[in-house]
Amino acid sequence: MAIRVSLAHRMQRHRPTRYLVSQGWTFALPGLLIILAITIFPVLYSIFVSFNHVAITSSGFKLSWVGVRNYRTIFSNSLYQYSLVFTVIYTVVTVLVELILGMGVALVLNALSRGRGFMLALLLLPWSLVTVISAEMWSYIYNGVYGVLNAILMGVGLLNHPVTWLGTPILAIISMMVADIWKTTPFVAIILLAGLQMIAGDLYEAADIDGASAGYKFWRITVPLLRPTIALSVLFRVLQAFGLFDLPFVLTGGGPGHATESLALLGYQVMFQDLNMGRGAAIAASTTLIVLLASLVVLRVFRAQVEEGAS
Amino acid sequence: MKKTVLAMVSGLAIVLAGCGQSQATAPVAKKTAGPVTIVWTASPIAGLGVRKTLISLFEKSHPNIKVKLITAPTSTNTDKAALTTQISSGSATPDVYMGDVIWPAQFAHAHLALDLSHHLPSSFWSRFAPGLVQGASYKGQVYGAPFYMDSGFLYYRKDLLAKAHLPVPKTWAQLVSDSETLQKDGLVKYGFVWQGNTYEGLTCDWMEYMTDAGGTVLNAAGTKAAIDSPASLKALTFMRSLITSHVSPAAVTTFEEPQAMAVFDAGKSAFLRNWDYAWANSNSPTDSKVVGKVGVAPLPTFSASNYPGHSTIGGWNIYVNPHSQHIPQDLTFIKWITGTQAQTVLATKFSEIPTNYAVQKNPAVRKVNPVLATVSHVRLVARPSNTPIYPKVSQAIYSNINAALNGSVSPSVALKTTQTQINQAISQNGL
Amino acid sequence: MNAKTVRRFWIGFWVIIVALLTIAPLYWMIATSFKNYFDLGAFPPNLFPNPVTLVNYQHAFRLYHFQIYIENSMIVSVTTTLLVLFFGSLAGYALGRLPIRGRKVIMVALLMISVFPEIAVISPLYMIMRTLGWLNSYQALIVPYTAFNLPFAIWILRNYFLSIPYEMEEAARIDGASGWRIIFQVILPQSTPGLFTAGVFTFTAAWTEFLMALTFNSIPQFRTIPVGIALFGAQFVIPYGTIFAASTIAVLPIAFGVIIFRRAVVSGLTQGAVKG
Repeated sequence: MAIRVSLAHRMQRHRPTRYLVSQGWTFALPGLLIILAITIFPVLYSIFVSFNHVAITSSGFKLSWVGVRNYRTIFSNSLYQYSLVFTVIYTVVTVLVELILGMGVALVLNALSRGRGFMLALLLLPWSLVTVISAEMWSYIYNGVYGVLNAILMGVGLLNHPVTWLGTPILAIISMMVADIWKTTPFVAIILLAGLQMIAGDLYEAADIDGASAGYKFWRITVPLLRPTIALSVLFRVLQAFGLFDLPFVLTGGGPGHATESLALLGYQVMFQDLNMGRGAAIAASTTLIVLLASLVVLRVFRAQVEEGAS
Repeated sequence: MKKTVLAMVSGLAIVLAGCGQSQATAPVAKKTAGPVTIVWTASPIAGLGVRKTLISLFEKSHPNIKVKLITAPTSTNTDKAALTTQISSGSATPDVYMGDVIWPAQFAHAHLALDLSHHLPSSFWSRFAPGLVQGASYKGQVYGAPFYMDSGFLYYRKDLLAKAHLPVPKTWAQLVSDSETLQKDGLVKYGFVWQGNTYEGLTCDWMEYMTDAGGTVLNAAGTKAAIDSPASLKALTFMRSLITSHVSPAAVTTFEEPQAMAVFDAGKSAFLRNWDYAWANSNSPTDSKVVGKVGVAPLPTFSASNYPGHSTIGGWNIYVNPHSQHIPQDLTFIKWITGTQAQTVLATKFSEIPTNYAVQKNPAVRKVNPVLATVSHVRLVARPSNTPIYPKVSQAIYSNINAALNGSVSPSVALKTTQTQINQAISQNGL
Repeated sequence: MNAKTVRRFWIGFWVIIVALLTIAPLYWMIATSFKNYFDLGAFPPNLFPNPVTLVNYQHAFRLYHFQIYIENSMIVSVTTTLLVLFFGSLAGYALGRLPIRGRKVIMVALLMISVFPEIAVISPLYMIMRTLGWLNSYQALIVPYTAFNLPFAIWILRNYFLSIPYEMEEAARIDGASGWRIIFQVILPQSTPGLFTAGVFTFTAAWTEFLMALTFNSIPQFRTIPVGIALFGAQFVIPYGTIFAASTIAVLPIAFGVIIFRRAVVSGLTQGAVKG
């Protein structure tokens, strides 16, 4: 996402680059070392475990190397394949909807002259609910016998008998998406809002003087300048959505049938319920690889567009 | 391999600790006189008071042992995840922990629970009600001490049955016709609520219908699935018919115990399948609108001559962490908590079903409530949990049965898929 | 009606829609927290709690000692946020504006770390914590939370730092300003929206994390809000009322915190800045 000409190119004239390089490392290293110290061993260990059969013995884990057998087992399993497809579709749909809604919310808030702080606080409430609890809340709202959603829809005459929102596959998936979108649209909106605030106001003033339409300003000023921020929010939402766990864990237990069994839920079940560490680690590692590839694609796509826009 | 891993961990740990800090290896067991503290992890049982009451009684009679209680999450799956993470990495705490009755095989296989039969005399096990010790065993060794037991019961609205002059149903067909009568008369909204969500509880409910119909999950040797049978089809078709005939609400396929209980407590259902706790719950004025109107009986079955129907065994065992540094004290605690005093308190004060057979049969205990009086008439069935792959087996059952219940697949297809998935799990190829 | 009035009407209209959609489910949670247990299964449900009862709140505090969990969550989340903002600003500046080789590789590696599923790392992390003797302590949560939230903060801060014009920084460098001065007096004052965003998201992530908090800290003195709530009730009993009461209390600090934090960040940091 390095769109700007790097400082290095400009600074070369004033100061030796070596000074800036060493300063760069001085600033970057503390943070990077903290990350490394805590995460490198668990991540590498987990990847290593995914190539092993793990037996839990009285003296700890006993690993025996099995090569790619865990991966072969999971890839050829129809439950894994379904989970993968489900997670991908779920991610694409929720992230798209959240991006559109989040952009709308950000634009509205950005145009707001008073009460923006209040609205921000309000928007953050869904996001700051513990996911398990927000799932309990939705489970209570969706309940097919005493849920308030049925009461409201029946009250206004849209339904004449209660619907079991989480009882059939398609409805359960949609209901889960709604709960997710409610909780995470604020995340997208707040990142986008921060991006909007970084756009200099005089660009719009100049466009106003030229008599530009609102649509023109949005597509020609806002979107191009916001692209790195959009990419960032999409990127992190894709990463989060791909890890979908708490909602199906509480709302449906992966059901009805297997309909909402996400990759993370499958991994959790294999690892902690079946105690099959090797296969669980393989599911986790393969998920990471897939989502990493997806995020690189996101970055590439957005960068290409940014470069087009700039030229 | 294990050594390499340990070396990696400790190497990293030294770096992290800023070098020089002495390594926290297993502390040398000091033979000091003071009291020993053991850590007991247990999820809340029927409210908050039980565990603390038991601990204070235990400490009074055992001044040299202190018990530190760690409250575990109420979700059994979450509880299990935390315990396995801690114990599999070699942690010495908790010393003793409360765990589900379906854990022994898996926990024995993964060395997460101490082989108790190695440490306790065989005479110790004779105190328990029949079948419980077998359920806590794996390959002939006992891994858990039964702490309190549970089973499925039929709760009914005695006021409604009396009003309509109906008997307490002994067959499923009778339950359906009772329900339909009560519903038609406008006395109640739903006939029967139970647990149909995709989770372990559906496996419990399923075991009851399937066993009543004469089916089993595995073949006699436990080597192959036997669930795809005419008996299972009869059971599943009946369960689905409960929903299509509106005796049970469609939402029952999303119900776990709390949802079914809430519908019954609100006076919206004539019958409820639930565990022991439902008696106290439905008779608590702060929780329920049907206080004093509830009766309890063994579950119905398919033909009256086989009454009563089967009830799935539930409940909790006490396990010992194999890495515990205080195994003698752990065993003392186990002996005491399954003994007469503790078990009587458990039953009379907190209306849990005791595992101690003498206490269970004690007339004073039976008088506590109708559930404890009914226990001895119940015909128990255990889930096929004597294999380490039981979680896979159960998942195959509950997810496919749920799919049939909500109508996304036919009962026969659901049973075929269950059969395939269980066989896959047995051959270690399933997910 | 002129164009400006029309515009303001529509903005107001949409603000209200957004606010209503956000509030509606929360309202239901809060209303339920004031209801008796047996009102929970009523259908059609009462839209307003009647009678209003505080019993759920009493349970949360008296029975479950929820105040301990709030205090622990506060300590852990605030410390984590401060650490993440500090180290994240430094690293974000370095990776965004200084000529470090391998920046792209680092950024992608950071991405990978923040996406690696928690369930896969929990077991090895537990071993580390046990070896360090950190189980049942605040640092058992603060340090991993900092490590797992830093990547996102670095990404987000770097993104904002990149959009700051170079003129002021160049001028400061020519004047001989140190790197620290440039970060704290030039860069950060111009990045308040970024700081706010990274700070808020770090705080909420630490505030809501469950699995590590449950596994690493098993004694009540160090347990956090999400774990505390998971211990409510009993087997087969979801005490919706108490859970919702506790959740209502748990989101309040976020709401107040956002308003206060936003003001502090916006006013405090812009003072030193030469805007232009």
